[in-house]
Amino acid sequence: MTVAPGARHVVIGAGPAGLTAARELARQGRPVVVLEQAGIVGGLARTESYKGFHFDMGGHRFFTKVDEVQKIWHEVLGADFRRRPRLSRIYYDGRFFHYPLKPLNALAGLGLWRAVLVMLSYLRWQLFPYKEERTFEQWVTNRFGRRLFLTFFKAYTEKVWGIPCSELRAEWAAQRIKDLSLRSAVVAMFIKPGKTIKTLIEEFDYPRLGPGMMWRAAADEIRRLGGAVRLEAEVTAVRRSGWRVDSVVHAGPCGEAVVAGEQFLSSMPVTQLVLRLEPPAPDAVREAARRLTYRDFLTVCLIVDRPDPFPDNWIYVHSPEVKVGRIQNFRSWSPDMVPDPAKASLGLEYFCSEGDALWSLPDEALIRLGKDELERIGLARATEISDGCVFRVSKAYPVYDADYREHLDTVRAFVDRFENLQTIGRNGLHRYNNQDHAMLTGLLAVRNLEGGVRHDLWSVNTEPEYHEEVGVSEAEAAVLEGRITEIFPRVDGLALGAATGVVAGALLWLATLALVWKGGPVVGPTLGLLAQFLPGYSVTAAGSIIGLAYGALGGFVAGWSFAVIRNLTLLLSLSFLRRRAQRHLLKRFLELV
Amino acid sequence: MATDAKDLETLVMIRVVRLNAAVAGVVTGVLAGLALFVATNWLVLKGGPVVGPHLALLGQYFIGYRVSFVGSLIGFVWAFVLGFLVGAAVVAIYNRLAALRDPHARGR
Repeated sequence: MTVAPGARHVVIGAGPAGLTAARELARQGRPVVVLEQAGIVGGLARTESYKGFHFDMGGHRFFTKVDEVQKIWHEVLGADFRRRPRLSRIYYDGRFFHYPLKPLNALAGLGLWRAVLVMLSYLRWQLFPYKEERTFEQWVTNRFGRRLFLTFFKAYTEKVWGIPCSELRAEWAAQRIKDLSLRSAVVAMFIKPGKTIKTLIEEFDYPRLGPGMMWRAAADEIRRLGGAVRLEAEVTAVRRSGWRVDSVVHAGPCGEAVVAGEQFLSSMPVTQLVLRLEPPAPDAVREAARRLTYRDFLTVCLIVDRPDPFPDNWIYVHSPEVKVGRIQNFRSWSPDMVPDPAKASLGLEYFCSEGDALWSLPDEALIRLGKDELERIGLARATEISDGCVFRVSKAYPVYDADYREHLDTVRAFVDRFENLQTIGRNGLHRYNNQDHAMLTGLLAVRNLEGGVRHDLWSVNTEPEYHEEVGVSEAEAAVLEGRITEIFPRVDGLALGAATGVVAGALLWLATLALVWKGGPVVGPTLGLLAQFLPGYSVTAAGSIIGLAYGALGGFVAGWSFAVIRNLTLLLSLSFLRRRAQRHLLKRFLELV
Repeated sequence: MATDAKDLETLVMIRVVRLNAAVAGVVTGVLAGLALFVATNWLVLKGGPVVGPHLALLGQYFIGYRVSFVGSLIGFVWAFVLGFLVGAAVVAIYNRLAALRDPHARGR
């Protein structure tokens, strides 16, 4: 697909994917219009403001292995893009645990007795695991033991997804937590983890005034380059003729308008896109779209009358006695997000579903709930909280339920048939992409318009996690993985035994015959000493046949034994690698929940 | 990305590894050559009225070999050649037999 430079491009959604695509189009001199339903840009990575305080919705660390994305971040913000230290902890049962987990800290937090119980539980489930892994609970228990599951997995996972772990499908865990595959552990064994792990764990980049600052700057750049970014412009209809989109209708406080275009990039939820098509999509596709679901969250923002309630950027709250899932401390993200040095601003994140009881609570009730829970945890007294506000973020997480793949495939097969429409971003692709990968889908979509290589946007970020961690390129990993399946299979003991038997037998036979052929007064006195171990052997023509048989037998035993020992050692070594991969995962499992 | 969806343990259990005959030959050749080179020079350095009478018997097979420094170089070459042939032959035969016995190999 090659698109004429003068054709108008319509980008739906002013989040990271949409604005990255629009910026790229504007820089190429292509006419572009961005339509955003909200009153501010940034999408899921927006920064809300209240009385001069800035609140990052969800907390966004800027870290990427995609060089182009890193370059864009620095280009857009320059000196306002800063390196920040990271501290995050888990709050559970009245104690704080460093996250990613540190063994000694975890041991100290659990106490010796509970640590022993954790180990015993781990051993028990290694020896006698659930025979079938149908649920997330069974899946985690089989790998880490029941006590660790209860301590670090259960409560937080249930808060995030709103479903008991006993009802979350095991396939979901296996898909999300790819890190446990032996393949990735073996690749990591060949390519030593680089400094990126340290960087990711200890520090990250962050805009001075939160992620929204990045996206406001990107929108300004698009406008400067002649593009348009329309806010409060919700796309209510997508008009098409067959497999071409002709225009979109957007509505907002200023009324309704129609925007025609040649090319359309959509980062709005793909479910809404399908349901807003005119003429409508086939019933089966609409039904599939309706069945794709999301998890939402709301942030209760509280202003505290003291500067530093705690040093963390954020705290994961695992304790089931409170509803809050995560607490952000915005001064730790960036001091400039808090205008008053005597105050602190906290964001208490509650995972919920749009329209449920929590989502529907009035803001005042939510602020009261936030104050109470903050006091229960012991991070601040309710009387110290002078002000607060609430922001709701809908469709924050695409839900990977048991049937989502089937439904998404149906939707994708339909959407992909459009000649001039591409879906991008987390919700455009219904994929749990982080900000950098969402941006990459925007960049690749623009590249698709330039003709030549066609990039598959749906496959961005489908590679295992280790690629990010060990700093290995996709191409290198692919080659390595291909080789791994050739290196690691078992050695066939019978084949190796037979081969060494044939060669050893032939060697002894030839060595004997050579001496017999040379002749002399005493033929092969030294080789003849073999008769002490090989009864019947002699340095004669007949002895050479017996030597051949002995050589074949000895060679077979040697080759077969080598193969058996090598295979057993390999299995043990792979088992060790799997354990190591599990331990590695345990340190940073929350990013995968 | 490898397209095979089976995990590595499964592969380890059902598939049979193929070896490279040339590589195996070079490895065993170098090892055999070095072993004879070191063994010969060890005896040369030890010295004595008769140097390495038993090792010298290899001269019956390896033409020109003797227990001396020059002999150790000749021995290295002979041992390398023999080692290469043995290693490569074992692996070539192994690969043939393994292919006959491994049903997964036929499609490869």
